[in-house]
Amino acid sequence: MIDKLCDQAEGKDIAVVGFYCDFLAQQEQSTASMLGAILKQLASRDGIPEHIRKAFWKAKKEFGGRLPDLVEILKKVVKPLQRVFMCIDALDECTPKNRRGLLESLREIARVSPNTRIFLTGRPHIDDEIMKCFSKAVRMPVIPTQDDIKSYLEMRLDGDTDPNAMDDELRAEIMKIIPEKVSEM
Amino acid sequence: MSWDPQVTSNINSFNVLNSNNVVNLITKGDAEERQILQWLSPLEPQKRHQGVQDERLNGVGNWVLETTEFRKWSDKENGRADPVLFCYGNPGVGKTYLR
Repeated sequence: MIDKLCDQAEGKDIAVVGFYCDFLAQQEQSTASMLGAILKQLASRDGIPEHIRKAFWKAKKEFGGRLPDLVEILKKVVKPLQRVFMCIDALDECTPKNRRGLLESLREIARVSPNTRIFLTGRPHIDDEIMKCFSKAVRMPVIPTQDDIKSYLEMRLDGDTDPNAMDDELRAEIMKIIPEKVSEM
Repeated sequence: MSWDPQVTSNINSFNVLNSNNVVNLITKGDAEERQILQWLSPLEPQKRHQGVQDERLNGVGNWVLETTEFRKWSDKENGRADPVLFCYGNPGVGKTYLR
């Protein structure tokens, strides 16, 4: 998705940023570090904006170096762009608290900058939380197509480290039955 | 901590726009710039993105781009569209690899 949007954005004043939530990285993936990771990608597009440099030096002088108000900075960075695509994968994998923080921050950014487009993926159970923040969010179920399943199977079968363990008949059977079963899921 | 050179070389996949600027900025960028980016967040989603690119099978997940939902959501002219498109599914259906 990120790459596809990047292709479309080429030559235009459009930014595409992405983030992958990871169950195993819940500790590090706080609301602030996730927002920071999004900001970092936007901030390095055209050289770091002066207001971010200033905030950095100010924080450096202060004891403990407080984190900046990332939402405010993000608003400033997003505003002048024609369009900003933010793609966040596996939103269900961060903690409920961080998820809420992230969604509320994104809502605030999108509220002041209607040029923001947010692409989210996750398991169905987080739907309620998303709808709480974005009541008109468009939802789309992800169901792999038969062709996708077949391409994936072919790739895995071709990469089998012990190809002699399988004859053509077994291969044909795998290619037939697995896509059928997946469709029933 | 500095940027991993491997990540640096791949940064333009996140930002095709002005990709030269981005790459130059990171590779030639002074210590201050690297420090600021690190300060904004220690996380490096580019690394994970590179992993996804490497594993992804060409063509898989393309169907999303043909849906009315995606077209409406990404359409520049459609200012009234809701900002969020949520693709949901159970583990392993390929949400990460949609394209």
